[in-house]
Amino acid sequence: MSATIPTEGLGMPVEVGSIDTALKKLWEADEASTNASLMNFLVYTEDPQRLQKNSAMVQGLTREHACRAVLIAMNRKATEVKVEAWITAHCHLAHGKKSICSEQIAFLLHGKSLGRLRNTVFAHLNSDLPLVFWWQGEFTDLFEERLYRLLNRLIFDSATWSDPLAGFRRLAEAREDTKGRMITQDLSWTRSYFYRLAVARLFDDPMAQKAVPEIREVRLKGNPAYRVAILLLLAWVATRSKWKPERACGDEWTLVARNHKEISVIFEWDEEAAPIAALVLTAPDCEVSITREAGSPHLCQSVVGQGHRVDFSGPADADEAEGLVASQLSRGGKNTLFLTVLPRFMELLELASSKER
Amino acid sequence: MGQSGVSNPFREDLVSRNLAEACSVVIFGATGDLTHRKLIPALYNLAVDGELPTGVRILGFARRDWSDERFREGLEKLNREVSRTGHDDEIWESLASNVHYHQSEFQDENGYRRLAERLDQIDQERGGKGNRLFYIASAPEYFDDILLNLKKAGLSQSKENCNACWSRVIVEKPFGTTLATAQHLNQVVAGTFEEKDTYRIDHYLGKETAQNIMVLRFANAIFEPMWNKEHIDHVQITCAEHLGMEGGRGGYYDKAGALRDMVQNHLLQLLSLVAMEPPTDLSADGVRDEKVKVIRSLRQWDTPELVAENVVRGQYVAGNVNGREVPGYREEDRVDPDSQTEAFVALRCMIDTWRWSGVPFYVRMGKRLPKKATEISVHFKEIPSVLFNAMPGGVPAGNVLVIRIQPDEGISLMMNSKLPGTTLRMEPVKMDFHYASSFGKSSPEAYERLLLDAMAGDATLFARRDEVEEAWRFIDHIHNAWNENGRDIPIAEFPAGSWGPREADEMLAKDGRTWRRL
Repeated sequence: MSATIPTEGLGMPVEVGSIDTALKKLWEADEASTNASLMNFLVYTEDPQRLQKNSAMVQGLTREHACRAVLIAMNRKATEVKVEAWITAHCHLAHGKKSICSEQIAFLLHGKSLGRLRNTVFAHLNSDLPLVFWWQGEFTDLFEERLYRLLNRLIFDSATWSDPLAGFRRLAEAREDTKGRMITQDLSWTRSYFYRLAVARLFDDPMAQKAVPEIREVRLKGNPAYRVAILLLLAWVATRSKWKPERACGDEWTLVARNHKEISVIFEWDEEAAPIAALVLTAPDCEVSITREAGSPHLCQSVVGQGHRVDFSGPADADEAEGLVASQLSRGGKNTLFLTVLPRFMELLELASSKER
Repeated sequence: MGQSGVSNPFREDLVSRNLAEACSVVIFGATGDLTHRKLIPALYNLAVDGELPTGVRILGFARRDWSDERFREGLEKLNREVSRTGHDDEIWESLASNVHYHQSEFQDENGYRRLAERLDQIDQERGGKGNRLFYIASAPEYFDDILLNLKKAGLSQSKENCNACWSRVIVEKPFGTTLATAQHLNQVVAGTFEEKDTYRIDHYLGKETAQNIMVLRFANAIFEPMWNKEHIDHVQITCAEHLGMEGGRGGYYDKAGALRDMVQNHLLQLLSLVAMEPPTDLSADGVRDEKVKVIRSLRQWDTPELVAENVVRGQYVAGNVNGREVPGYREEDRVDPDSQTEAFVALRCMIDTWRWSGVPFYVRMGKRLPKKATEISVHFKEIPSVLFNAMPGGVPAGNVLVIRIQPDEGISLMMNSKLPGTTLRMEPVKMDFHYASSFGKSSPEAYERLLLDAMAGDATLFARRDEVEEAWRFIDHIHNAWNENGRDIPIAEFPAGSWGPREADEMLAKDGRTWRRL
């Protein structure tokens, strides 16, 4: 047992070689529970301190997503090479009746040993069920082809990357290696889901719809820790409107439409704000606005212009990763829209990095 | 994609279903239970999930002299009680600010003219383009008046000078009480709204498991090759209710009966989903074309002899349900003490198609049965009498695929397995899939899905005119035989809390089969 890494709540310590036997005993001991599983859900971190927190997150996630959870934390700084493992089950009452349980295996891998991550993953999967892999943090050298070619869905959060440009290029390589079979899901993209839905709904308004080609200004406000989410949202707006990045000057950028008209993009950053705090699209006769207070579960949406105004409250995306992953798993799909937006997003990212240089 | 959604570039690729468009929803019978318990909570939950289009306005149309505030208060109270997702004050306020009340008698033409003016005014103020969705949730005797007055007020056609706007109507059940009344109602509707704008609601089709029947059949390669007379022995559809005539239901039910209240619509819809051929596509008419062929192929029980042979009607007598003494049907509140109305019905249905020739579909529906459950079971043929089947004791049971519609939605498959041990003994085992266990998130209520579909112009899960009329044709023959022959076709009795009359068991016993024990 590691002295410095918290492991309480991970369940019963087991020998790696007897995990299957221990799991079987676990289920036999409680006949009242149902073991349910729709997927293998793997959570990987290279920060061993997160292992315990990840277990608590999985506990919450299994309320809606029955799975076999495999948590792996890599302690790469350790000098001694060893593996510790624990098993437990997360149980919930389904609709107040039956107890439904998801089993969890947690691993703490100490020391450097290439291939150990891959082998640990492959040895503990439920056959035939899809493999959803949540990679926390940067893509390191352990993010390698023999591992990711077997993933059905890769979840990551580009907001946590120190160099998003490098991270997305690594992702593009991986997608090419897997010939696009691996579904990729960036939580930074998920953060803007209800914003995108709100934009689409607000532009159903006939007056707003007419104003689309006339949009001249986009104002984006957000928390600087979630810059990537805001750029992804802008990339989506730009892709749908067929705007291209032209130049950047501090927090004021210029995009250009097909008809060569310029669109001014103004960013405002506030460390106290919600991840995405506001998106305002302005045309001469119409303004579409979506805002969110920090911590609020709602988006305030409005269309104003030509003597009419429509206000609406709708749901907002979760702030924390657990909620984002849960909603993403509920939606499923192949996430092709994200891939459509990626090229424009990369252009914006390059514009941002050239501005920084 | 909705018609106008094409020009909204932000809609493209965002969702994988038809797009619901902003509209004014006008509910007739707005002070009733359906509006308070089902329709408004459904709209609220769509707003919670971010599915309700921006700019949806709701107008309750009813006779009582209520204000907007009085109407909203009542809706809020019920929403707090029944909403699937709980009650969020901010979302509610946002929705409620778009809820209004319109007082008028259903027969008052002036009330409809005022309604038209009010809708125009709302569109002007709120930027709506003039889409209207009329939901007729009133008592059925007002259907004609409402439809005709909508037409007179110019509300049944899409507005002039508007780009791709629409006017649609949702009609609640009962859609007629006989073939003649259904045809009459269809004529009134057809004279008011186009068929493509008419949505005859059957909330069973909005249930997750009902929709899953097509997925099960056509998205899994293992079932469809066996889905025919070569492999299937028979099919059973059971809709059991443990309740009787509580809450004053006896008044309505004693006029309708089990056959017309449930079989004509819900159960024949389920039967058609189970029995239909693969549609050419998933369009509304693609699916409904195949469903109506099934109903049209039902062998008609059009003589008293055939009805006596293939249909059992029954009434419960006093008994015990869930440990509680309950009265017999004829002693129930608002039920005629000499009532000849069936509270239980069991039918043997034959579908005269190549696929189903000789395969009976047994359908039963009853009140005061032991529990509440709606299930479809597909009973596969027994294996040939060789190998295990030739051994003493044979194979214990044939394979049964069960589709549970409510309340515990899911699918199970019974198959035979060897018991552990040195001797060869077999027992049936059950592979069981429960929606609630596998998907912790609750499914949307049927009305949520159906309201959204109507706003999106997708009529797949609504009954078409010919489906309704063909179903009534089948039901009318049975009803006429009962009525014309009076007491020649007796009403079987069964104690409340049992699984129906002995005669229903005997009907299957004659075929060498038994009802499945739920």
